[in-house]
Amino acid sequence: MKKIQPRTRGWIMIIGTIAVIGLIFTSCAENAQIAAKSGAQLWAENCQRCHNTPSPAAFSHEQWKTVGLHMQTRAQLTDKERDKIIAFLSQ
Amino acid sequence: MKRINKIGQCLAVLALILLSFNSARAQQTAADSALLGRIAILEQQVADHKPGESHFMVAGLTTFGYVSSKTTFTAPGASAQVTRANSLGDGDHYELSPMFLFRHGDNLLVEFEPSFDGTSIGVNWANISYFAAPGLVVHAGYFVVPFGIYSKKLAAGWIDKLAGDPAGLDLPGTDFGVGLSGGFPLGNMKWSYDVSLTNGLQLLPDGELQNAGVVDNNKGKMVSGRFSLLPFSNSSLEIGVSALHSNAGDAGSNFTSANVNMYGADINFVKTFSPFLVNVKGQYNKIEVSRQTFVSPVDSSAFSFSNISSSAFAQVSVRPVGLDNFLKNFELAYRYSNYTTPNGSAWGQNFHENDFGLDYWLSWRTVLKFTYAKSSALGTSTLQAGGIPGLTNVNSLYLQFSVEF
Repeated sequence: MKKIQPRTRGWIMIIGTIAVIGLIFTSCAENAQIAAKSGAQLWAENCQRCHNTPSPAAFSHEQWKTVGLHMQTRAQLTDKERDKIIAFLSQ
Repeated sequence: MKRINKIGQCLAVLALILLSFNSARAQQTAADSALLGRIAILEQQVADHKPGESHFMVAGLTTFGYVSSKTTFTAPGASAQVTRANSLGDGDHYELSPMFLFRHGDNLLVEFEPSFDGTSIGVNWANISYFAAPGLVVHAGYFVVPFGIYSKKLAAGWIDKLAGDPAGLDLPGTDFGVGLSGGFPLGNMKWSYDVSLTNGLQLLPDGELQNAGVVDNNKGKMVSGRFSLLPFSNSSLEIGVSALHSNAGDAGSNFTSANVNMYGADINFVKTFSPFLVNVKGQYNKIEVSRQTFVSPVDSSAFSFSNISSSAFAQVSVRPVGLDNFLKNFELAYRYSNYTTPNGSAWGQNFHENDFGLDYWLSWRTVLKFTYAKSSALGTSTLQAGGIPGLTNVNSLYLQFSVEF
């Protein structure tokens, strides 16, 4: 049996990983209960995973939009979670 | 004659009405002009403050405190030596780190966080993130390499429940490279990924590791990643696994073949059991460096050792957030940490630490921490490797203030 070259094996691993991640991406969906969560609920559940829940008064709407992107990079929030939390904090 | 007088009176009244009408009209015109002027001023003011598509802000954190410590070192067959020290600025925990955040539209974020640690100014983050698609953030620059939960998410002074850091979690640290991250719903659950490709680690002459820096020490790069699953719909539990591979030897050196594999697992559980908010966190790291031959700094002889290290911490904290009085601002915390480095290396030791903390939260992002730390390190190094075997016990008392701004 012909031995697979390390470089070929590397490409197979990269393509395989991309295929698996792509498959997972396309199959990911939230159920109705999760989709119906409010910004306040998501704020309470997600922020306190690492730190205290922030006061909405701490920043302005524009600042919360910036902080929201920043926190998405740290906590890997979903886009919907980020948008709902920002909307709640901006009220 | 009477009729003429009546006509005259009527004309006079009419003239008065016309005069008063003109006067009112003139007043109305003046009022209108004033109002229009005011509106124009307000429009200008609104235009001056209109949010553009870009936004810049400065946030950041600072940590300051006091530590008093007593160190007792006992070499094999010798009597104990005691050293006492105290430090305003809280020893190596002092930090002032402003974070400059620049958002361009809704898809681009630049983060720059310089940091003054009391002796020098360094950089914690210098990173550009592009929010390419739902669940896909592409970033490049200088960033904390994704591995475990502590370094990237919990290390900031205003987040950490205890004054110090658990030992042995410094690696893989901060590095130059590119990365992808994102989070996705999965039915009732949620999962996330955070992967990066960076310059990687560098093996030092004594077998320890450090970051190679902006100029890579070899052609190989470091691949690192963390995947996490939040199995409950309320996101109360997060379980993460991490892995890393890096070439570590300097090109052209005796360590050319050296490579590093790291494995990690972490857990994060946060839930309110009224009136208490319970917070449990933990992480385990294992570092395996391929076996190499080193040169003794004592007699230049060759020696080798199994270059495997492991570290772990487990932490629990409780805060009565459901109370209606000042007690809700207090939080009790405890952490056990362990760090085992290779037997026979210059830095070999078996380290244990217990941290007990009482925190007072002045606001959601401002905390006053009182921590007692008791550690014990049994040296497992050898004289040939350049180490100093012995037992080191340290008792430390911290009073630390930390704020996010």
